[in-house]
Amino acid sequence: MSTVLISSVRKSFGRVEAVKDVSFEVFPGEIFGLLGPNGAGKTTTIRMMLDIFEPDGGQVSVFDGRITEAKKQRIGYMPEDRGLYKDLQLEQTLVFLATLKGLAESEAKSRLEGWLKRLDLYDHRQKKIQELSKGMQQKAQLIATLLHDPDLIVVDEPFSGLDPVNTRLVKDIIEEQRQAGKTIIMSTHQMYQVEALCNRIVLIDNGRTVLYGEVSKIKRDFSGNAILLEGHGDFSQVPGVLEARRQNGAWHLALGSDANPQEIFRHLARQDDVTIERFEIAEPSLDDIFVRVVQEGKQSREADHA
Amino acid sequence: MRNFWLLARHEYRKLVGKRSFLVGTLGFPLILMVVMAAGIFISVRSDPNRPIGYVDHAGIINPAVSPIIEEGETLLALRPFPDEAAAQEALANEEIQALMVIPAGYPRNLLIKVFYWQDTPGEAVYSDFNAYLRANLAADYPANLQTRLQDGSDLVVRAADGSREFNSQNIFNFFIPFIAAFFFVFVVMGSSGYLLQVVTDEKENRTIEIMMTTVSPGQLIGGKALGLLAVSLTQAAIWVATGIVAILIGSIFFETLRFVSVPWSLLLVALLFFVPAYAFIAGLMTAIGSAVSELTQAQQIAGILNLLFLLPFFFIALFFTNPNSPVLVVMTFFPTTAFMTVLMRWGMSNMPVWQLVLSWLLLVGSALGSVWVASRVFHTGMLRYGQSLKLKDVVTAVRPRRVSGS
Repeated sequence: MSTVLISSVRKSFGRVEAVKDVSFEVFPGEIFGLLGPNGAGKTTTIRMMLDIFEPDGGQVSVFDGRITEAKKQRIGYMPEDRGLYKDLQLEQTLVFLATLKGLAESEAKSRLEGWLKRLDLYDHRQKKIQELSKGMQQKAQLIATLLHDPDLIVVDEPFSGLDPVNTRLVKDIIEEQRQAGKTIIMSTHQMYQVEALCNRIVLIDNGRTVLYGEVSKIKRDFSGNAILLEGHGDFSQVPGVLEARRQNGAWHLALGSDANPQEIFRHLARQDDVTIERFEIAEPSLDDIFVRVVQEGKQSREADHA
Repeated sequence: MRNFWLLARHEYRKLVGKRSFLVGTLGFPLILMVVMAAGIFISVRSDPNRPIGYVDHAGIINPAVSPIIEEGETLLALRPFPDEAAAQEALANEEIQALMVIPAGYPRNLLIKVFYWQDTPGEAVYSDFNAYLRANLAADYPANLQTRLQDGSDLVVRAADGSREFNSQNIFNFFIPFIAAFFFVFVVMGSSGYLLQVVTDEKENRTIEIMMTTVSPGQLIGGKALGLLAVSLTQAAIWVATGIVAILIGSIFFETLRFVSVPWSLLLVALLFFVPAYAFIAGLMTAIGSAVSELTQAQQIAGILNLLFLLPFFFIALFFTNPNSPVLVVMTFFPTTAFMTVLMRWGMSNMPVWQLVLSWLLLVGSALGSVWVASRVFHTGMLRYGQSLKLKDVVTAVRPRRVSGS
């Protein structure tokens, strides 16, 4: 059974249609990537999912039904616009937020010690939030999200403001939560993190779902029109190849829409002046797919307007 | 419900723990103590062992005549001098604490010359000498007239229905409605001022998105409003307790304070109006705090609003001269001025009950409307970080929504 089910939701603010038609489903034990360019409708979708906004249409189901006050205690949310009470002490703030999520004060304090130590904030627990660095505040926000041990974790840009060491630490924590069977929805623009962490993704553009499914399958679906070659010889004049460029010691050949990788391979095999040491179908990066889908969508909209 | 109380407790602890709260709360009792101590010092400064000297050129004072005094009461002794030179010498030698010279023309001009050395004499010197003087001036009259003349005049003001009466002894009670009105309005405005700050802070700190995925907006604002009301009530309780202690101590030295009585009917009316008045202004402050992006901006708008709440203050003379004037009747029904106006009119005059009931109903209606508007503006405005709502946005937020299917 899915933890979150979003079906054909839409939301307008005045004349602006922020979300037109977004659907996806998220299951326990997976890290789900909620992707899209700026202004695509990701945050509005999250806010509808978490009952901050009421959708104008469509269906939102969290933990098998409408969200309730009790269900809110099973959710940990780290919004993109970070916020903690700046003039309060770190420990006091985190304990207060955890008690609002249903933890007893003593239990919250007990759990907090471990988290503070793990995220290297223990020595700063008596400091006011405003005295902490941006990275520290980011880690504090992550603790606020996870301290009450939620079943559904929604994190928006969890790595922003973190150095590589802390980025690794946060990645490990997110992965641990997944292994513990939690449902994690992660919104980020860092595509390499999505590739590293997410099982499935949804890509929202202009308020609509434009890509949805398993990361590996999506990458396979977008592969086939490029090949990666290693060898000796000139690969720049191969028939059917639109563009050939050297990339990290290998050749990246972009194929025309009518070209077939098998025919390319056969053609190259017949050539005496080239040797092939490696030939594989190039799988596009998620970053490439993101850019391509969003640009195609933009061009399509521009064409419609024209 | 648990979160409602947690939020209330959190806001209470957060504010009460601040140094500014302690300074603000304890400042008033400290000032009151200083003022009272100064008053008592002036009152008791007369030395009971040193007499009052006098030179009687008019031949009024007969040492055998004593004023009528209550049991247990004592008066300073008088010491006569044959001439001013001898009396001045005794004053310089600190044998007497003040010198009263009754000129020969006293019966015509009623003027007495007072001499003292360095420090002004205490109240007792004047009141005791006046008592001697009054007793001697009335000495030739029959006993009953003597008593009446020594008691002096006492103006008594009674309400037409006999419900209230003020005289020279309980004159302090006359001012209680004003003090109570300012006090309650202060509590309401103080709490709502805190609420304005807290809502604006919540927006500036960007904590609202986390809070809204944790508690309902009703719990959030309700809990905060209750916590902040408790802060103001704590402050008020400390001040009331200080006031009571001050009256108890002061009554030892000042006779007027012995006749202070609790105006129960006024308190009942105050409590009746307190909750809707607070809900009304709290709703407005929440709406303002949600609509703007910075505290200073919120305070500017709230400052104008506060003027509307304090408007009755500018008509204070009218409460004395004509408490049922049309201006005050209108202010009785206007939601921002109702609380203060009703308290002062109810405490000072015979305000018609229908006006009281209608005023309360209008205030309750305004309070419900204010809270409803606040919840709409809160929901729209709080997530617009760093942005203020335009008037158009506020109208859109308040306008009834379409029924949506989800």
